[in-house]
Amino acid sequence: MTDVVLENVGKTYPNGYHAIPSVDLSIEEGEFIVLVGPSGCGKSTLLRMVAGLESISEGELRIRGERMNEKEPAERDIAMVFQNYALYPHMTVYANMAYGLKNRGVPKNQIEEKVTHVADMLGLTELLQRKPGQLSGGQRQRVAMGRAMVRDPKVFLFDEPLSNLDAKLRVQMRVEIRQLQRKLGTTTLYVTHDQVEAMTLADRLVVLNKGKAEQIGTPMDIYNQPATPFVAAFIGSPSMNLIDANVTEQGVKISDAVTLPLSHEHRGEVVWGIRPEHLVVCDEKNADFALRIQAVESLGAETLIHGVIDEKSGKNEPMVVRLAGPHLPDINSLIWLTAPVQHWHLFDAKTQQRL
Amino acid sequence: MTVTFPQKGLPWLLLLPQLLVTAIFFLWPAEQALEQAFYQEDAFGLSREFVGLENFIDLFTDPLYYQSMLTTLLFSFSVAIFGMSAALLLAVMADRVIRGKLAYQTLLIWPYAVAPALAGVLWWILFDPSMGPIALWLESAGVDWNHYLNGNQAMILVVIASTWKQISYNFLFFLAGLQAVPRSLIEAASIDGASPFKRFWTIVFPLLSPTTFFLLVVNLVYAFFETFGVIDATTKGGPGQSTTTLVYKVFEDGFIGLDLGGSAAQSVVLMGIVGLMTVIQFRFIERKVQYS
Repeated sequence: MTDVVLENVGKTYPNGYHAIPSVDLSIEEGEFIVLVGPSGCGKSTLLRMVAGLESISEGELRIRGERMNEKEPAERDIAMVFQNYALYPHMTVYANMAYGLKNRGVPKNQIEEKVTHVADMLGLTELLQRKPGQLSGGQRQRVAMGRAMVRDPKVFLFDEPLSNLDAKLRVQMRVEIRQLQRKLGTTTLYVTHDQVEAMTLADRLVVLNKGKAEQIGTPMDIYNQPATPFVAAFIGSPSMNLIDANVTEQGVKISDAVTLPLSHEHRGEVVWGIRPEHLVVCDEKNADFALRIQAVESLGAETLIHGVIDEKSGKNEPMVVRLAGPHLPDINSLIWLTAPVQHWHLFDAKTQQRL
Repeated sequence: MTVTFPQKGLPWLLLLPQLLVTAIFFLWPAEQALEQAFYQEDAFGLSREFVGLENFIDLFTDPLYYQSMLTTLLFSFSVAIFGMSAALLLAVMADRVIRGKLAYQTLLIWPYAVAPALAGVLWWILFDPSMGPIALWLESAGVDWNHYLNGNQAMILVVIASTWKQISYNFLFFLAGLQAVPRSLIEAASIDGASPFKRFWTIVFPLLSPTTFFLLVVNLVYAFFETFGVIDATTKGGPGQSTTTLVYKVFEDGFIGLDLGGSAAQSVVLMGIVGLMTVIQFRFIERKVQYS
């Protein structure tokens, strides 16, 4: 069953700034959708429009088939977790969680039952009588989630909820959020700029760029078949290597010296891409090109080699190679690489669409 | 940070102007008042006689003094409560204004720059029973306004005049306090189903409590000690004793009644009250609400 539908939803500010041209998205019940994009891409604005904190200038928002554009945030049956948690500092954890229920006139004994239940689930029972100021970052984050869960809303909205936590806690909370969401089965819309968070949490990803949904799909679809060079570069770490190239009779000409054989009916300028993990080190005679090593990042489990290809023509295209395990090549030495054709990504340079 | 001076004399030299001001305008008169409080002096200042605590005994057995104390309390709390409520209302509205915000805020701050006596005269003219526009309007509405004869009306007049002057100050602090409340809290509360009215009373107002408490003390001190000019320009403490606050009584008894000893004893009592209020302010003003 479709739960949340955004139809041609757009945002224009009173000063004429067209923040979001038009977004179409339909979310199934229980789905975990992540809105991801660089800062300023409009992802938070979109989320706040769903929450009712920003007005919707164009299009329609429907939750369970009901038009929401004119409804107050409280009438949309949503709950939101804010980046700074937005806990009420003068209230105890219990009062923070009970506030929404109290405003809705839920009887006192039911409030108590619900709050204790959720607190138990999140391990907050010991903290119920404390004030937010006496909690650690991770605990506050949990209280913010508890406050959202206790109302049992139709939709959860998360606005970069993990960005104020340290790296270790972030990973832990990420796993926890995913497990909780599965258990509760609540439709979720989650905003982040962190592509790792996006990939690991999402049932489906929406990659936003300048207020436009560049691609909507499962994390693996987006990883394997990015629709545009922007998506290709944004999803995956380290980023995909992208080179301006030309498709001719001979194949893909990525520089004056390097032409990779390919039979493709497309002719003209393209963006050619390959992920760092798909490049293969080989000997000189099987190589597609040579890489002059400029920097090596050894992470133990993997090694990232940064360098340039095509020195001869002076084009010096930067390229990153990701190798499994530890390697210690010399800086300034050459290594030989092949780019297996099944891992290529080709985009039309003009339309920016995948070929 | 600690600064060390090579010479011993320089720090004292730098402190000297402030020390002089304090000594000449506070310590010296205070000492004089303290001394005077134990003497009885004749009206011409030709002779005086040590009387011990007699001035204080007279003071605390005088029903008029208690009357004045009650008047002061009524006056001060009225000024503080009306001044703060009006300022809070204005600040909440100013916080929502988007266009012409600066002009609106500047205009609201102006009354603070008006001298107390001028503020008094202004309201005295507005409420003058025979020619004041407000008094005439009240009369046409069926209210018989004459603050020269009616003690309650005189009290209302001095409260209005004193409050008006203090609203600007309160407004500035409330506005700053409101702007320090994180927007996301209000948004969270609106998602939590709280009406704008409820949001204000359950979220914003409690978060303003440090500001509110600070202003309460400041306003009480203002009404106690800094409203002499307003009262003198509007009612001169009358009719009868109905607007004679403690500070006005010091002036009245000392400079009009020429009971210098009694007046000095009242000053000493007032000094005690100021000291107490200062202690309260410093003790509790540090109570702060943490925004997370």
